[in-house]
Amino acid sequence: MKIQTPIITLLVGVALAAALLVSSMSAVSEKKAALAAASSSAAANAAPGVTTSAAASSAAASGSQSASASASASATGSFVIPPHANYDGEVQGNKGAVALVVHDTFAVAYFCNGSTIEAWFSGTPDNGKLNLTGKGASAGSTLTANYALGHARGTVTVNGVSYVFSIIAVHKPSGLFESIANVRGATIKAGWIVLADGTEVGSLNPNENAANSVSQAAPTLDPSTLTATYDGTTITATPIDGETGSGF
Amino acid sequence: MAAQWGEPAPTRQEPIIKPDKSARVLVIPALVGCLVSLTLGIYGRLHSPTGVAVDVIGFSSPGTVKAWLATVAVLFAVVQVISSMIMYGKISWITAPPWIGTLHKWSGRIAFIVTVPVAVHCLYALGFETFNLRVIVHSICGCLFFGVFTVKMLALTKKGLPNWVLPVAGGLAFALLTVIWFTSAFWFFSIFGFRR
Repeated sequence: MKIQTPIITLLVGVALAAALLVSSMSAVSEKKAALAAASSSAAANAAPGVTTSAAASSAAASGSQSASASASASATGSFVIPPHANYDGEVQGNKGAVALVVHDTFAVAYFCNGSTIEAWFSGTPDNGKLNLTGKGASAGSTLTANYALGHARGTVTVNGVSYVFSIIAVHKPSGLFESIANVRGATIKAGWIVLADGTEVGSLNPNENAANSVSQAAPTLDPSTLTATYDGTTITATPIDGETGSGF
Repeated sequence: MAAQWGEPAPTRQEPIIKPDKSARVLVIPALVGCLVSLTLGIYGRLHSPTGVAVDVIGFSSPGTVKAWLATVAVLFAVVQVISSMIMYGKISWITAPPWIGTLHKWSGRIAFIVTVPVAVHCLYALGFETFNLRVIVHSICGCLFFGVFTVKMLALTKKGLPNWVLPVAGGLAFALLTVIWFTSAFWFFSIFGFRR
């Protein structure tokens, strides 16, 4: 019996999909191996006493367990720079938390102390370096950081106070979440940083467009529904995730 | 005597074929289509997205590759709609040229084949997501599209289809592809600009 052409079309599609799936799987495992190898050689090559050597060995340490290995990760010097990555963690001295999200040519960062101090940043990654400026109500704040596979470190300056951080790569469901909503005529903007251990740190600006609006603690974000209740209104958060491109 | 009954007269075929045109032959294609859609959706939801898949040479990121491939698919899909309208005689001032069937088949095959890498990347690297309306619509339509396409391909192999089946299945596939394109490639280009 002759196989009919529409069936052939379907079978060709299935075969192509299977081939791509298999090559994607092997590409991912090869890249993970290559990145792990590159970052351990980075640790081996890093000169002792140089300030960046700590970052390199941290990157190597977390490199093997990191799933942020990415398709076009580039090695700059002895560092592996992932094009898609999320980092978050507390700043030194427990003064707040910071999240960095890198997606190709865009980077977004958020700092907050779970109360009155918060700032949103955006900018362009440059070969493992971030030089971000505050946007909107956060104008005047700055964030500089270096990032590599599994690890990022830098300084964030908000309202003239600098905080130093050394943070790790995180994956869904940890990461950065944002919600912009209209509640009783005011545009509110909330940010939550969900740390690797599941701890949430969030602040909320009750009137994004007012010059002297004072931020407050954000309501608890339900990680399963990505909703929170503010002033009797349910607000929905969007993940800002460099690995999936969500929020970009 | 019996030999005379061997071949019925040609005029007799008309009343015999008509009641055979039943949508019942669509049951199996429809079930297979449902299975395809469900499989894609469930896989996309359960598989944890890697964020990574194979690279295509000449493009800056998987996003751009997908946006352009999807655009190519939509262009061929437009050829599909126009060529089928000509075949069905809906464009009165064009008489169907003899090669219109070949054009329709091959534009369809190309359109389908270029959507496959896009779908594989979506499902493998990104998954079925629901974090905003665009993404929900895109995820659902993406799964439905391959189901509808499967139904249409399987329906083509069946004889005695009601006349409405192919136009409806084809139209549905085109409508879904258009929604998919607007919720992904169009969105991508509108944010990042036309880039490779």
